[in-house]
Amino acid sequence: MNLRLMGACVLLAPLGLMAIPPRQDRDATRKVSSGGASTTPADGGERVFTNNCSRCHAAPMSLPPRITGTVIMHMRTRARLSRDDEKLLLKYLAP
Amino acid sequence: MPDFRFKRRTPFVHALLVWTMACAGLSAQMKGSDDNDAGYVPIISGGAGYVHNISGGAPTLEPQIDPVLVVPFGRHVLLESRTDFTGFFERQNLTSGPFKGKVFKDVEYAQLDWLADSHLIVVGGRYLLPFGIYNERLEPIWIRNLQDAPYTASIGTRTTGAGDGLMLRGVAVQTGTASLQYAAYFSARSGINQFGSGRAAGGDASVFLPQLHLEIGASGQRFLQDHRINNSAAYISWQPLDHAMDVKGEYDYSFFGHGYWLEAAYKLDRVTSVAAMQKVQLVGRIQQVSPRHGGGNGLPQVESRRFDLGINYYLRDNLRLISSYGRNFSSQQNLNVWNAGVTYRFTIPLWFGGKR
Repeated sequence: MNLRLMGACVLLAPLGLMAIPPRQDRDATRKVSSGGASTTPADGGERVFTNNCSRCHAAPMSLPPRITGTVIMHMRTRARLSRDDEKLLLKYLAP
Repeated sequence: MPDFRFKRRTPFVHALLVWTMACAGLSAQMKGSDDNDAGYVPIISGGAGYVHNISGGAPTLEPQIDPVLVVPFGRHVLLESRTDFTGFFERQNLTSGPFKGKVFKDVEYAQLDWLADSHLIVVGGRYLLPFGIYNERLEPIWIRNLQDAPYTASIGTRTTGAGDGLMLRGVAVQTGTASLQYAAYFSARSGINQFGSGRAAGGDASVFLPQLHLEIGASGQRFLQDHRINNSAAYISWQPLDHAMDVKGEYDYSFFGHGYWLEAAYKLDRVTSVAAMQKVQLVGRIQQVSPRHGGGNGLPQVESRRFDLGINYYLRDNLRLISSYGRNFSSQQNLNVWNAGVTYRFTIPLWFGGKR
């Protein structure tokens, strides 16, 4: 079996899926065309959360408030976040 | 063989644990900044799972649990530790007979972090070697998209994947368009049971471009015992903004060999409205390694190539079914590798205090 051909298929299959517009984009497009707001401005904490968690793993759906500070300290060390990022995350996850 | 040394130390270990938890409990009661509702309760988190592997027709059963203890002391000091318990059971005659095996345990890291500054975190103790993208970030059972580690995972992580010593890490520069993250460490040689490590010094740096969700990094290491060698790696991580896609790749170079792996994963939650399909993740990976100077030291001794295809199904955000098929090509043998199982991520608070 030609490994290069197989490898190309492996890598191109997900890229092919990218050609399909994401569902939320399609929904957003519908909202725009109907005059509604297409996006919601994301605050800094959400941006930090999205940028950093998804680089390694699927983000948890929720965190109990009493452990949020501990988890963020842990992730600050793991993901090498700045103190500003830590503060934004605290405000976002435990407002 | 039972570890009697541990038993002799049990009262001391218990006392240390109680003291640690008491201090942490008091810490959890402390109020920090008043502009949020975050609590600082000690936790046990981590991953667990079970993988049924069939490699070249020989089945193995591999249950695993990796508890992570995280104990904050105030807002600037954190104790964290991860211990790996992995069972490895195979048939007596590889393909026939009863399953036999044992459970291996390993302290993967046990470190004290001092969050000294916005740009500096000082880590002392036993830490994961920050070499490449796999060892420190993707290795946990609940994170990795494919259960088998890449061929090149042993480059830069000798002798145990962990270092005993000191590490400085953090974000050096951060702007709205880019951030530069770094880690630099020195590890001493250690032969202590469960705390073994090699003498090494090295570092890692990566640039993350948030607008593109693109990260490019490089690692270097000088292994300073026995045969002194240099190891290096370059890696990339990319998550396109509007797609649930994750692309990662790494090239590693060492005295004993060099190779690459490239992995792409796509979760279908944004391309279909069918609820059951939204939980599916497709994964593919190719890799190749070429040994130098006879290879070994964790690397294959002949040139090897492999591809893997996987399908993961997320029952919940922390619980998933995993499956994959891989084909290994080498001059020694070509073989099929199948994996199927389940992984789970857990988080358990260890104290009743803290806010809400």
